[in-house]
Amino acid sequence: MTRPAYARPETLDEALLFLKRHGDETRPLAGGTDVMVDLRSGKLKTPYLLDISRLPDLQGIALTEEGLSIGAGVTISEIYTSPLVAEHAPSLIKSCAFFGSPQIRNVATMGGNVGNASPSADTAPSLIAHGAKAVLAGKNVERTVAVEDLFVGPYRSGIKNDELLLRFILEPAEGRFSDFQKIGRRKALAISRMSMAVLADQEQGGAFRSIRVALGSGTPTPMRMEKVESFFKGKRPDRQTLEAGAGLMAQEMVRITGRRPSTVYKEKAIQGLFMRMLYPIWKK
Amino acid sequence: MKAGRMIPIRFTLNGEKRNLEVGAAETALYVIRERLFQKGTKEGCGIGECGACTIVVDGKSVNACLMAAPQLDGRVVMTVEGLGDKEKLHPLQEAFLDHHGVQCGFCTPGLLMSAQALITKTPHPTEEQVVEAVSGNLCRCTGYQQIVDAIGDGAKKTGGEE
Amino acid sequence: MKTDRSIIGKSIPRIGAIERLLGKPLFSADMELEDPLVLKVLPSDRHHARIVRIDTNDATRVEGVVRIFTAQDIPGKNLTGIINKDRPLLAEGEVRSKGDPVALVAAETVMAAEAALRKIRVTYEDLSSVHDPEEALEPDAPKVHEKGNLLFTRKIKRGNPESVYEKCAVVVEKTYRTSFLEHTYLEPDAGAGFVEAGERLVIAASTQNPHYDHSEVVSLLGVAPEQVRIIQAATGGGFGSKLDLNVQGFIGLALHHLKRPVVCTFTREESYRMTAKRHPLKMTLKTGADKNGRLMAMTAKLICDTGAYGSYGLAVASRAPVHATGPYEVDHVDVECLCVYTNNPFAGAMRGFGVPQTAFAHESQMDLLAEALHMDPLEIRRINALKAGSQTATCQLLKDSVGIAQCFEAVGPHYEKALKEWVHGETDPSKERGVGLGAMWYGIGNTGVQNPSTAHMEMDREGRLTLYTGCADIGQGSTTVLSQIAAQVLGISPEDLETVVGDTAFTSNAGATSASRQTYISGNAVKEAAENLADVLLTEGVDLLKRPKSDLMLEDGYVVDKKDFQHRVPFSKIAARASRKGIPLRWQGYFDPETVPLDPETGEGVPYATYAYACHVALVRVDVLTGEVTVHKIIAAHDVGRAIHPAGVEGQIRGGVAMGVGFAIMEEYDPSSTESMKDYHIPTSSDMPEVVPIIIESPEPTGPFGAKGVGEPALIPTAPAIVNGIANALGARIYHLPANLERVLGASIQSGKFTLKEVA
Repeated sequence: MTRPAYARPETLDEALLFLKRHGDETRPLAGGTDVMVDLRSGKLKTPYLLDISRLPDLQGIALTEEGLSIGAGVTISEIYTSPLVAEHAPSLIKSCAFFGSPQIRNVATMGGNVGNASPSADTAPSLIAHGAKAVLAGKNVERTVAVEDLFVGPYRSGIKNDELLLRFILEPAEGRFSDFQKIGRRKALAISRMSMAVLADQEQGGAFRSIRVALGSGTPTPMRMEKVESFFKGKRPDRQTLEAGAGLMAQEMVRITGRRPSTVYKEKAIQGLFMRMLYPIWKK
Repeated sequence: MKAGRMIPIRFTLNGEKRNLEVGAAETALYVIRERLFQKGTKEGCGIGECGACTIVVDGKSVNACLMAAPQLDGRVVMTVEGLGDKEKLHPLQEAFLDHHGVQCGFCTPGLLMSAQALITKTPHPTEEQVVEAVSGNLCRCTGYQQIVDAIGDGAKKTGGEE
Repeated sequence: MKTDRSIIGKSIPRIGAIERLLGKPLFSADMELEDPLVLKVLPSDRHHARIVRIDTNDATRVEGVVRIFTAQDIPGKNLTGIINKDRPLLAEGEVRSKGDPVALVAAETVMAAEAALRKIRVTYEDLSSVHDPEEALEPDAPKVHEKGNLLFTRKIKRGNPESVYEKCAVVVEKTYRTSFLEHTYLEPDAGAGFVEAGERLVIAASTQNPHYDHSEVVSLLGVAPEQVRIIQAATGGGFGSKLDLNVQGFIGLALHHLKRPVVCTFTREESYRMTAKRHPLKMTLKTGADKNGRLMAMTAKLICDTGAYGSYGLAVASRAPVHATGPYEVDHVDVECLCVYTNNPFAGAMRGFGVPQTAFAHESQMDLLAEALHMDPLEIRRINALKAGSQTATCQLLKDSVGIAQCFEAVGPHYEKALKEWVHGETDPSKERGVGLGAMWYGIGNTGVQNPSTAHMEMDREGRLTLYTGCADIGQGSTTVLSQIAAQVLGISPEDLETVVGDTAFTSNAGATSASRQTYISGNAVKEAAENLADVLLTEGVDLLKRPKSDLMLEDGYVVDKKDFQHRVPFSKIAARASRKGIPLRWQGYFDPETVPLDPETGEGVPYATYAYACHVALVRVDVLTGEVTVHKIIAAHDVGRAIHPAGVEGQIRGGVAMGVGFAIMEEYDPSSTESMKDYHIPTSSDMPEVVPIIIESPEPTGPFGAKGVGEPALIPTAPAIVNGIANALGARIYHLPANLERVLGASIQSGKFTLKEVA
């Protein structure tokens, strides 16, 4: 196969025009932390690399009326150090804290992380727990899609050939409990063995008014554990309830994924991680 | 719009302006080592898992093996060759010497670059910040502590404090 | 004699550090050659198969391909091996593992070479393969080599353990397992070569033993020794894997045929696929003690999987049983170690040669015995510790420099404090704290065989001194240490000493940089060379200064009258004079440790002239909900005899602890799935505990200035201490390393700790 060609559009319009023409033989390139690895191994063969890392339309973090808006091209480092994200989506800060390594964080983007559609995408659980929507643009068309729906299958993205991720819109935490936890084999440069995020709202008496729980690295795609969420709604987070919910989460994971060699570990670790994550709530 | 199989780029490498044509999917690491003959930056794994190829791009530490060479265009880049020279070692290099932070030396250039990126942004890093800054640079020889001490010390000396 | 002028014990600037800090092009892949060819190796993709045909027609036609080599192109002997010569450079009719080199491509560019690799068609006839050493020992197992799958057996037998067990107050019997590991030195295997004017083939390579490389290449090519020159390029770590031939043979073959410069660098994936691994060991230990905790008997059955080729398997299978008792007195011992071929990737030398594995076993046993006897784990170790006057299981009488008791004493206060205070201080509701001990002993040098080192010194006519040593510095700092030794003897500053290292055109064989042997063995060889030179200088000084020898000393490049420092003569004058007299200005040194080969039935003998000893304390935090382990702190006390370069010793201890942490909790090479550094985890800076190194000096009279070694000892006690710490935290024990997430969570559940604590 001949080596790819490179193109760097100056504007979003140029980029979308290019994708309209060559979308089915183009791979967008931002930080390169997945693309360059896959090119090297031969897993990715693409006639065109479209460098979108400098497009202004993909940058910026802002609180708008839609919610917390984070550009698809914002780097993980920028998200990690953003006061706006710290205030409105603390779980995302934690997702970014242990993402890869400092070098990787300096160039990797959330757009790339979602676009790569890995079951272990570190930003996915927090995005999903925050009800994040992705805004995608094609030439003359824009659509908004739940981030969860962009994960069609392991490494299969719902992003079309002729469109680009522009930005993500998260529901701000607004005082709700927002956390992300991950299990890795070491403390840096570690793929998640399991990860999860929670966004929880409690009434005065402590019962859950609402709760979102998203799982990463446990199911073929990162997803919300809706049965678990319904289970908790209205209940007080005492120890038994949390343990029962954790058990339900394990059951759900196994139901969705089936039994694999890793299930022996994961069906316990998922409960352990859940209990650990919810401890601050339980403590109160 | 810049496009093609070979892309002309201009960037600054260790203070010097460079113009050259690079392949679309060539890595910055390849270009630095094989086109520009700067051998200080090392290939340890080629997939961003070891940090031996760390360079500084616009003040940030980056794995050169994961950077497409065309993305060097317009950037200010530093490699280990730009840190100091035999006549005048950079305080970081002096500190590595004083604290015995060099054993086989293969990880050393990448570590110096991560350190440089750190102290550019954070002139007075805590030990924790140093440990985090080098958490993407693997070393199999030293156990890291002498390196971490060296960076802390080198930061102080760079800042002019003794 | 320790004076202010003592260079021994000073942490002088490391030789070679500045060049590495400046990023100078010192490594093999940095070499600038004129239009070099690129070499790429095609590995086998079968576990075990007969090669029916290798079709290179399409591959040869790829543009840029110059030549493709197979076994028939090897002019000399196509068999290599550092102990057993059982490994072909290129497969000859049969492949025995995935990763066996089958063909070698020489091309103008990397792209052309890789394209050619894809087009080589090998027709295999699959043979049945075996991947478990116990299965490989069954009579009907597939034969990895013609002579059978049992490569080697080592027995250590003293007394009669079986008769003693019934008298023991406690007997503990358990089986322990470890996994394949990968060295993961930061510099992937690399080398380059060219032909010198005069037709000598020059090969520069990342290596731990240039002189061995030389003998192999000469044998492979069937040429005279003078026709090959090996230069040790800067070597980015080795840890045992760069003792085998990795790239050198390929470079030699290409140079021989093509007479053009070549480079051969492995990608990380190729390094993982085609180079040595650590032997997995299955170890069943039975240990009996009396009611006071005195060890009475030990029986052990050890099985090593050496993979498809022997490499250092014999050494591992000898070391492991010799050290199996641990640094303790045990009168009745019966240890048997089998070294077995399988169709797994070949296992070779890796830092510790089987002792990290057995230490995990014997230290776990000690804790189990302590538990059964309600004894303190430090106390049970203390009362059994070897000392001067002890006899080992091989009936060796230990005379001097047995510093294990001092190591226990040094860590004692840290251990007590951790148990009293630290272990109770956990505030995180999902974590449990534990403290563990690990102790070890490690014989310096190759087991029960001759392994000499040589060195020489030269003085030029201006009196400038050069040290020549074949000792490969792979980052551990040997060049600096050897320079210190020579400088101390000669009264000069190490900066004034030139060194020529690891170049077969100039240096002589120092033996391999392995077995923690270089400070002790090459150090002695260098010391002797320096002393021979010193003697000549003093003798000439007698003549020039008209003073008796006993009144003279060497200082700062002069022979000096002790009674009148102004009365002196510079080396330069002596050099000029000596060369006029026709005295050759070259002095040899030689040292071989005094060993006695081990009896094949009883193991009786003197495997090593001296041993290093150590004890680590590990403070660990275990997350009972997820299986994650955080090693909080390691206190590491090491008896090194004498620390010639204390910062270097400390650096080795710290690096060894890092490797020990990896061995304990995260490193595991799975031949069926580990491909790159994405799948294999070594500790990052964030994974490191606080390390407190404690240097203990129990001087070894036969060592240079009392020194022994530390390179491998550094890592050996760490994993045992961590494993014991995890057991202390959980109340359940791990018997299979690594103690990874899955195994630790399993233990947590088994122990009943898998729950959140109610923490205030």
